[in-house]
Amino acid sequence: MISLNQLTKRFGQQIAVNALTLEIPAGQIVGFLGPNGAGKSTTLKMLTGMIEPTEGSATICGFDLKTQPVEVKRNVGFVPESGAVFESLSGLEYLEMIAALYGIPQDAARIRIRQFLTFFDLSFDTLTDKLLGAYSKGMRRKVVITAALLHNPKVVFFDEPLDGLDANAAVGFKALIQTLAREGKTIVYSSHILDVVERVCDRVIIIDKGKLLLDGKPDELVATHNSGTLEHLFTQLTGGQELERRAEDFAKTFRS
Amino acid sequence: MNSRPAELPPVMNPAPPQTQTLRKLFLTIYLRGRSSRGLKLKTAPKSVWQKLAIALLVYTVVGFFFSIGFLSGHQPLFALAISAHSMTFVFLGMFVSTSAGEVLFNKDEADILMHRPISTRDLLWSKIRVMIQISLWLAGALNLGGLLVAFYKGNILFPLVHIFSTVLEALFCTGSVVLTYQLCLRWFGRERLDSFMTMTQMLVAIALVMAGQVLPRLMFQLNEKGWLELTPSHWWFSLLPPVWFAGLDDAVAANGNAGAWLLAALSVVATATVVWLAFGKLADNYLAGLQSVAETVTRPKTRSNSQRRWTEIIATIPPIKWFSPVSRAGFILTTAYLFRDRDVKLRVFPGIAPMLIMPLIFLFRDTRQMEGFGAAFSSGFLATIPLLVLDLLQYSQQWQASDIFRVAPMAGPGQLSQGARRAVLFILAFPAFILIGFIVWVAQHTVSHLLLFLPGLILIPIVSLVPAAMRRGVPLSLPNEEIKSAGRSMKIMIVMFGAMALSGIASWTFNAGVFWWFMLAEVVLALPAYLGLSAWVSRQRWKPLE
Repeated sequence: MISLNQLTKRFGQQIAVNALTLEIPAGQIVGFLGPNGAGKSTTLKMLTGMIEPTEGSATICGFDLKTQPVEVKRNVGFVPESGAVFESLSGLEYLEMIAALYGIPQDAARIRIRQFLTFFDLSFDTLTDKLLGAYSKGMRRKVVITAALLHNPKVVFFDEPLDGLDANAAVGFKALIQTLAREGKTIVYSSHILDVVERVCDRVIIIDKGKLLLDGKPDELVATHNSGTLEHLFTQLTGGQELERRAEDFAKTFRS
Repeated sequence: MNSRPAELPPVMNPAPPQTQTLRKLFLTIYLRGRSSRGLKLKTAPKSVWQKLAIALLVYTVVGFFFSIGFLSGHQPLFALAISAHSMTFVFLGMFVSTSAGEVLFNKDEADILMHRPISTRDLLWSKIRVMIQISLWLAGALNLGGLLVAFYKGNILFPLVHIFSTVLEALFCTGSVVLTYQLCLRWFGRERLDSFMTMTQMLVAIALVMAGQVLPRLMFQLNEKGWLELTPSHWWFSLLPPVWFAGLDDAVAANGNAGAWLLAALSVVATATVVWLAFGKLADNYLAGLQSVAETVTRPKTRSNSQRRWTEIIATIPPIKWFSPVSRAGFILTTAYLFRDRDVKLRVFPGIAPMLIMPLIFLFRDTRQMEGFGAAFSSGFLATIPLLVLDLLQYSQQWQASDIFRVAPMAGPGQLSQGARRAVLFILAFPAFILIGFIVWVAQHTVSHLLLFLPGLILIPIVSLVPAAMRRGVPLSLPNEEIKSAGRSMKIMIVMFGAMALSGIASWTFNAGVFWWFMLAEVVLALPAYLGLSAWVSRQRWKPLE
């Protein structure tokens, strides 16, 4: 479903993503992990056609990223980390605008939007009586998730999707992506909340400084490296072993 | 795996074409603004429409004001056409050059739209069509007076041709600005796009303001009857775009001589070329620009580092280092945004360009009847710089970050406003006084006229306190959308008229030999005003957030 071949992105001298080669089949939930600045968001932006790779190639649903970007975009959904929306539109105006960009008729879009409202346990009025700028962070995130799934994409990229969601919505969302994967959709899930990744994902990819560090099933990786948890494995791999001691030292500086 | 058509409900009404959806989106965003501060759906658009209606009314009044001078039967229609097209060119150019960066390359928008199945060309065209649409509303308001004047003078064809030439002019203006971006991208690369865009936009905006102020004065003069007349032609007039479009009006609706037809042909060819280059041949460069906006990687920027050092050094220089910590923080924040933030630079520097240009025009027109009026006028005009800049500095795309000011243990915004005010005085207003003062000294070969700068210099600490006193002095604390206020412009115009009145009085007292009595009176009035305003500002408390 997703195929990366030596995918590379350079910004001048800086290499953000370094010759990433991967195969992700349909129906898999892949946790895409890495410390800040590892190249996760850059990879996701390349795979959604937002930025162009410097070298290498990628195909999604059989469409080439470089030569068939519009076809790729028709088949993917993306929840960006920023959670950006057009704040001066109402929730309904925003979602109907997004639906129209995928050629979904207004009536069909409304039916789909109502389905999402039911899933998130929201009334239709919440989408119509305020502009998005007045929404809470969690509400806005729900709208962004809806906007990513409205057109029923085959591949969905989530960049920190739980940011701002309350506990119930987060539980519901995790159940949703597991169901979507069972229905055959490919989910790429980038997050810093490692216990969620460990519970939800079939496979984990860890990158650092643009390079692939590790790729495998979470429980197998944890067992192979004798780490106990994915979180410990992550800190081992990305140089975070000293964090607890450093935190203690730092906290001591607050003593008056 | 389920296929998309099977899962979607049956199609009832076909979806509108993508370009129509995008045009509707960008027009809504223009009318409502990019961000809203918790506005209800029912009230937000209404208020923006009202603001737009007021702006169109102001444009109409300005257009009528410029057209009244052409009611005389002696003046050729070509003069009216040049005046109308020059004014339109400046206003449209300013609108497009200041809004194009935000419209064409918006980071949030990249996160929302760039992963959707939209072609770059459709995206670009949708934005351009909305910009042209709004330009034409503004142009329509500006040209209404001219059209009525032409109709009054009995030329029925002129309004029709002028509407066509104005549409061409709007296309030319928009295309030129977009083409500038495309060329910046092609020649300097996406890495340096942002800094070049800022500089280009600033220079274009400043050039347009200068052209708008200077050219009409060069091209027109009052005749012995007091009517405006076109000065004898210079060859370089025909290089100016507004003259080409005026040539089109003249060729079809008036003279129809060879020169007019040549200018008309030039207007059509130039517009077609610019449109073809900007929206056709170089449209693919737009994708590179959009991708540059979508990138999140921070690149090393040596220039930015040097600027940072520069602002840090400024903060250590007396008297800035003696300011209170909050005032110094306000000073550094304001200075940093004045020199680093594209959005702020594009508002502030073109905004103060007329403040620097107008004094120069009057300096070189200084008359014997009122000796020193140019210097006095410069002084009064320069004194309004802090008022304008502090007003513009309130607005920012990052206004939500100003919540930190309320979280910090400060009882009110006074110290912060003082820091911003001092930054504007030290970085812009005082250097402007020194610059214009130097020009007065060099141009008029006299030091005595420099005394006429005193009324403005005494006024400036008081004028600069006014925004803070009116609770409008906290920098970067309001969304950009709130800047679209005709009331704001009115207030600034009232202050400018006040400054001009002061200049007139100062100049009169200078010539009447009672200048020092006037100075004494000004100081006696200014001192308590300054102390009162300062105390008022420092006593202010935060207003509760809505």
